[in-house]
Amino acid sequence: MLETVFTWSFLTALLSSGVRMAMPLLYAGIGETVSEKSGIVNIGMEGVMLSGAFFAYVGMVFTGSAGAGIAAGILGGMLISMLLALVCVKGKQNQTVCGLALNTLALGITGFGYKMMCNAGVSGQVGIIKVVPIPLLSKIPVIGEAFFTQDILTYAAYILSILCFVFYRYTRTGLSMASIGENPMAADAASIPVEKHQMIACAVNGIMGGMGGAYLIVAQVGLFSDNMTAGRGYIALAAVILGRYNPFGVVLASLLFGVANAAQIRFQLLGTGIPMQIFAMLPYVITLLALLLTSGKSREPKALGTPYIRGKR
Amino acid sequence: MKLLKSILRTLLYIAVMCAFTVLLIVISGANLSDALSKFANGIWGTKLNIGEVFVKATPLMLTGTACALAFRTGFFNIGAEGQFYIGAVAAAAAALRLPLPGMLRLAVAFIAGFLAGGIWALIAAGMKLRFKSSEIIVTIMLNYISVNFLAMAVRTFLKDPKGTLPYSEKLDPALVLSKLVNGTRIHTGILVALACAFIVWFIIDKTSWGYQMRVVGFNPRAAQCSGISVSKSVIRASLLSGGIAGLAGVIEVLAIQKKLLEGFSSNCGYTGVLIALLASNKPQFVPVVAIIYAAISSGAATMERQTSVPSAMVNILIGSLVIGVLLKKYFDSRREGVLK
Repeated sequence: MLETVFTWSFLTALLSSGVRMAMPLLYAGIGETVSEKSGIVNIGMEGVMLSGAFFAYVGMVFTGSAGAGIAAGILGGMLISMLLALVCVKGKQNQTVCGLALNTLALGITGFGYKMMCNAGVSGQVGIIKVVPIPLLSKIPVIGEAFFTQDILTYAAYILSILCFVFYRYTRTGLSMASIGENPMAADAASIPVEKHQMIACAVNGIMGGMGGAYLIVAQVGLFSDNMTAGRGYIALAAVILGRYNPFGVVLASLLFGVANAAQIRFQLLGTGIPMQIFAMLPYVITLLALLLTSGKSREPKALGTPYIRGKR
Repeated sequence: MKLLKSILRTLLYIAVMCAFTVLLIVISGANLSDALSKFANGIWGTKLNIGEVFVKATPLMLTGTACALAFRTGFFNIGAEGQFYIGAVAAAAAALRLPLPGMLRLAVAFIAGFLAGGIWALIAAGMKLRFKSSEIIVTIMLNYISVNFLAMAVRTFLKDPKGTLPYSEKLDPALVLSKLVNGTRIHTGILVALACAFIVWFIIDKTSWGYQMRVVGFNPRAAQCSGISVSKSVIRASLLSGGIAGLAGVIEVLAIQKKLLEGFSSNCGYTGVLIALLASNKPQFVPVVAIIYAAISSGAATMERQTSVPSAMVNILIGSLVIGVLLKKYFDSRREGVLK
């Protein structure tokens, strides 16, 4: 068994499918980082992704174009995240409660919609987008095939993570949006529009989460199924913590989760005697350990999850 | 007056939900009266169907009570799903592998399930108290760990030695919880569930431990300043809450599945969270809400089988109901001038 595992081709294939599996997590993780940095924790990320996947599928079924699918997925994601914005940013209600309710709501809407499409006979496999190797870069051994022989949405995710990093590190708006998550009262006193920025953060959360869901349809499966995100939204929450609220950290964390998942599937195919759930369990154990080891040095925004009400102590 | 108002409000919610249900049925293009009669049939068409409502409600009462208790203490236990599975594994291990006489083995299975669930929740409480980690994230991680742990268990140490599929062998029939009503699947587990709801109500409302928990849930800093130990309350609440969620797993294994297998919670851990919220985190209301939820989902399942209305309707109803309650709170505080 070991000689099958430790070959370059096996490792390349493993890494390559790990990267593909990481992409939905990466999109959603970046979206969640943006909202959490402004103090809004969206437990409903699972619902955002599921809604994104469903509406991307609807878009592709009815237009046949991947672009329309992605656009519809983004709108689907925003549908859920803007409900959170209404209830929690405008309404200052409990974010966890709202997020969990949104997950259930999204499960309902997508399941209902998909069943109706099936009944009407307008469901079926849609074509997924092609892999576009990047010239030169894709020739690098192992890494070239894993990272630069992917689809266009993967490259977009690389660029978006870099943009997100630059935004928070080097721009004034980025700094003020992050300051809201640390101390909304001080931000408000410095005339930063707290609610407006939190609304924008929720919108970005929906856009990115919707993309993450849409990626599953547009680039991976091409077919919707009930609850197809299967907990990826929750894993994205973990990726944000493991990535320590840093976009590049989130990239690494998503990759780790993606590769662990790919390893689980591949080793299962090899049929070793070891129960492969150990691999499936690993990402969650690592996240818990990361929470333990980084305690005290946590980068968690100080006011995460607490609604800001002006004039209230 | 206050009671009357709250009853009126509940009736209003129910009316809105009924209207919403009708709307969804119309959207799905089914014949309304036909769909509604199938829906009603699914709930009280036969004795068996009525029984199924209570069978479905039993684990939900337990997970709902577990969540209500934790939320009242300000401990956001989203982990009932994981505690359910860990409780189930512990109980199955005790019931299948311990060389004890019948009744004693049953008792040990219950205790093992309760303790396993409680300790599972205690991990999250410990990390919250010691390292200030968000219990929400920790319990969600623990949920996935326990799902995989169960998958491992039924493939290794709890696998049926004679079988090839990931199941455990069947339980000794002497250990299976007895039926309560003939002609249905209602079992003695429902008594345990009702007792738990009652005990938790008693603890929260009538004991000094419960008082401390409520104060901690309301304002931990005020609790600390008036000499109430926040950590003690959170630890007590997490142990009890996790234990009760674990009991839900124990009862499902011992009464319904009669063996250990994967994925049998049908999400009742997550549903428990919403049930607790709809019961305003009051254990005395949890059984009622659980039964209503179970009735709606039984009705919807029958409706899906016999008409074109998707049963996912239930999730839309519950999700929008919780969102509606939150929005109502927002509008109330706006009227009172707390928010603009």
